[in-house]
Amino acid sequence: MKEMLLKKGRVKELCLKACEEWQTYVPIEETGGDVQFLRINGKEKNSALNKLNLDYGSLVISPKAIGFPQLESLFQFQGDKITDTVHAPSKKLLFGLRACDVKGILFLDDFFKRDFQDIYYLNRSRDRLLVIVGCKHPPRDCFCTSAKTGPFLPVHYDKGAGAESDFDLQMVDVGDVYLVEVGSVKGEEFVNNHKKFFDEASEEIIAESKKAKRAAEEAISVKVDFEKAIKNFCDDNIPSEIYEKIAERCIYCGGCLYVCPTCSCFNVLDEKSADSGRRWRNWDACVFEGYTREASGHNPRLKKWVRTSRRYEHKLKYDFLATGVSGCVGCGRCLSSCPVNIGIVQVIEEAAKI
Amino acid sequence: MKNEYIPYPAIIESIRDESFDTKTFKVVFEDKGLAASFNYKPGQFVQLSLLGIGEAPISITSSPCNQGFLEFTIRAAGKLTRAIHELKPADKIHVRGPYGNPFPFEEVKGKDLYFVAGGIGLPPLRSIINEVFNKREEFGKIKVLYGAKTPDELCFKEELKRWQDITDTEILLTVDKPDESWKGNVGVVTMLWDKTDITSSNGVAYVCGPPIMIRFVIERLTRTGFRDENIYISLERYMKCGIGKCGHCNIGATFVCIDGPVFSYNQLKGMPEKEIAMAI
Repeated sequence: MKEMLLKKGRVKELCLKACEEWQTYVPIEETGGDVQFLRINGKEKNSALNKLNLDYGSLVISPKAIGFPQLESLFQFQGDKITDTVHAPSKKLLFGLRACDVKGILFLDDFFKRDFQDIYYLNRSRDRLLVIVGCKHPPRDCFCTSAKTGPFLPVHYDKGAGAESDFDLQMVDVGDVYLVEVGSVKGEEFVNNHKKFFDEASEEIIAESKKAKRAAEEAISVKVDFEKAIKNFCDDNIPSEIYEKIAERCIYCGGCLYVCPTCSCFNVLDEKSADSGRRWRNWDACVFEGYTREASGHNPRLKKWVRTSRRYEHKLKYDFLATGVSGCVGCGRCLSSCPVNIGIVQVIEEAAKI
Repeated sequence: MKNEYIPYPAIIESIRDESFDTKTFKVVFEDKGLAASFNYKPGQFVQLSLLGIGEAPISITSSPCNQGFLEFTIRAAGKLTRAIHELKPADKIHVRGPYGNPFPFEEVKGKDLYFVAGGIGLPPLRSIINEVFNKREEFGKIKVLYGAKTPDELCFKEELKRWQDITDTEILLTVDKPDESWKGNVGVVTMLWDKTDITSSNGVAYVCGPPIMIRFVIERLTRTGFRDENIYISLERYMKCGIGKCGHCNIGATFVCIDGPVFSYNQLKGMPEKEIAMAI
């Protein structure tokens, strides 16, 4: 399918229309300037859409929370009777994602499907339409051009050959309009079902969009030798001093892992009052001291620097060895959220120097 | 798609005291179909739940050759296991599984088997020990080397006596702190090397116990000539899901829950030293 064109002035209307069929998530700017990816199907969708911001820097919490909420009920019980609380699959439109976050979502899709399938995640993620709006003003801390995760993803859609892109639609900001690239059968269907919002793009706009993509790439100032760093991690060339140095400053708050688009560790806890209750799971972080502490008190990762090495090696070595893809998508959230100014990008820089 | 997080109700049939802080629970699934179809192998574990209190990985100490029930030997160590110790026969408990990789069984037929356990490390090995005894003639010499802190803390006291009488089988016990009635060996489990003949030529060793004990036993086995691939260790790690998702039991690229809990020493050596140093 050819590139299409969507006028900026019609985006809100398109989102409202989509709400009729899809659970629709969009980036909403909150008081104070934080942008959150929120569902807008409620009564307040009109006023919510007045705060739509597609030119945001970075979502505070990555959109992983849609498939893997921070707190999720596994089941409820009444006496001995268990009722599972698996989310019923529903059509979800994720409109206005960044390319790096889409890479994060695909990473988690693969993880939750591997070995034992996680029905909670997979039900929440089924029937999902991923719409990228590529970065125009990338945030200071990100490095997607080095991680090869953005600011735009390649278009591979070839219906006849069965080839699809990592996204369903990808939008490029070109002045008053978005150029819309179609990445999948589902993306094409969406455009066809909402024909009145889309026009065919002129050659001139397509040329403009290419310029816009290049400008976005050039706007990303942080450059690291990602491949060399990964190689050094995989070859066990990282001296423990790097971790020890970080351990001196890190306060082990776990914030970087909560905001990370590919972190998927969770804790499980029960809640009960009288005869009924629930079993929950909630995000956990491998840097916490209690994360590996056994009931006997024995803790195989008691030392701080060992927890630090786990945190970075999981992303830059073990994920890569297991899947061929690094667990870091270069979004820079770990650095932006860190109270003591440590980010994975500095570790990658150090590792690339070896 | 199966919901792996949902546990199934089971009834506690009987409870046996093993020591001052350890009990063995015999349980039967409430659902007769599930009780009949629940297939496991020695070395595997389940996730055991008390609704409203929590869930933990517990190794299965019964053997598949005794069908229709499961046994779990549990030390009261944390919140959940203390609550389990409060249970009475006919009470309900929830079970899901079985999970993890078992001990090698078919592969070691004809071999001499050495089971080396410390304290609460015998329950996971008991499953394969009884499975082996069920087909006694298919294996070579069998030696169980078992150490505990005190005589009271030796699990399966009656069974240990019965095992003594099985053909070509030797049961060697030791304790760290003897009481007045103890007439046996005193010292750590590796002192039993001086009390019997341990030969590596046709031997396979199964090890389970506290980390420090595992470390010394592996060192001793290696010195005795056991090859790395003939030493099997069952590892303990904090776990939440048992199915390779929660991340807690990771060692390097390995999930103890789905890639273990049984590992050969060969596999253990391939894990990052800084993470394994404190785990064994």
